[in-house]
Amino acid sequence: MDLKKFGKWLKSLKNEGVEHLPVEERRAFLKMGLKVTGVFAGGTILSLVSKAEEVFGAAPEYVDKFPYKPHYSMVLITDRCVDCQLCMEACVRTNHVPPYGWRTKIFERRLVVGPQQYERQFMPVLCNHCNIPPCVRVCPTKATFKDKKTGIVRMNPKKCIGCKTCMVACPYDMRYFNEEKRAVDKCDFCWESRLSKGETLTACAAACPAGVRIFGDLADPESRVYKIVHDPSRAIWVLRPETGAKPNVFYTIDGLG
Amino acid sequence: MKRWLFLILLIVFAFALYQPLWGQEEEEYPEEPIIFTKPVKAVVFDHKKHIEDAGLSCDDCHDELFEMAAGTAEENEDFNMKSLYEGKYCGACHNGDMAFASNRKCTTCHIGVLGWQRLQGETKVKEHHH
Repeated sequence: MDLKKFGKWLKSLKNEGVEHLPVEERRAFLKMGLKVTGVFAGGTILSLVSKAEEVFGAAPEYVDKFPYKPHYSMVLITDRCVDCQLCMEACVRTNHVPPYGWRTKIFERRLVVGPQQYERQFMPVLCNHCNIPPCVRVCPTKATFKDKKTGIVRMNPKKCIGCKTCMVACPYDMRYFNEEKRAVDKCDFCWESRLSKGETLTACAAACPAGVRIFGDLADPESRVYKIVHDPSRAIWVLRPETGAKPNVFYTIDGLG
Repeated sequence: MKRWLFLILLIVFAFALYQPLWGQEEEEYPEEPIIFTKPVKAVVFDHKKHIEDAGLSCDDCHDELFEMAAGTAEENEDFNMKSLYEGKYCGACHNGDMAFASNRKCTTCHIGVLGWQRLQGETKVKEHHH
């Protein structure tokens, strides 16, 4: 096949995207000396992709598979949020977050609810502790890792070389460079400051006066997070599902509008 | 004697000028929105909306539900959502009957820290222009 024909054939292939290719397959693919470009030529890779779809599926299917115990998760009942920022204040106090940094933020958006009618909605965001965390994948020193027991995406500041690649990789912009630590810092579901010391709630969930932040074990059918996520009458969504990161932070509303 | 009469007349006249006894034509109210920052940041109250749109008059809320002086209610320990649900403060009207219930449409009044900062920014810009 001459180069022109090859190019034509390459262009005719359907782009299936790289988002749904799991890390292991990516690694295997890279080991074969090929580049992940978004175009998969040949039967092998195509079948790998479809198998990945079977295993991980779309958002509503994967919520029933919880590899961690406890599988820490947070549900944000976003229309209860009034942006009082008590969660942010508690987080800063508990985890010594500097004024230029953040482990959680609150965003604001204006929803159209009728002609010339708008509704304010606040949206708290924190590390989504993804099942397939892009930040962990890109870290060259394994300074950031997924805790094998709890699934929490944690940091080992001693290993961090400050390359900030994880900050770019994070789909949620929930990482910042901490000048004092000389390392990237992020939400660890208060693992170091609270959970490892026997507390059951994160500082933000404990501080919220409006019952927005529901924290718990998604592997426990008795927990509130499990019940909310599996409530068929509720709309449950995740932020930026297209990245394929499979987050463990879920959003819903109580319908207070 | 004449001087006394003159003085009394002057006082009465001054009082009449200051506050007409009958038919207060237009009710005056603060144009700037009232911002509550306790117990949470931040809640907005717009006099204009409640008077022009909802048709309330001063004495519908003052002085029984709220003192005239802004910020007085905030100092009370019971100035919270629970009291509103019990019909105190804003909850006297915001009960789902006269106006939308206090446990609904949170962000209509709760503008948050972000909304508060935005309002402060606007006043700063205004002051700058003066």
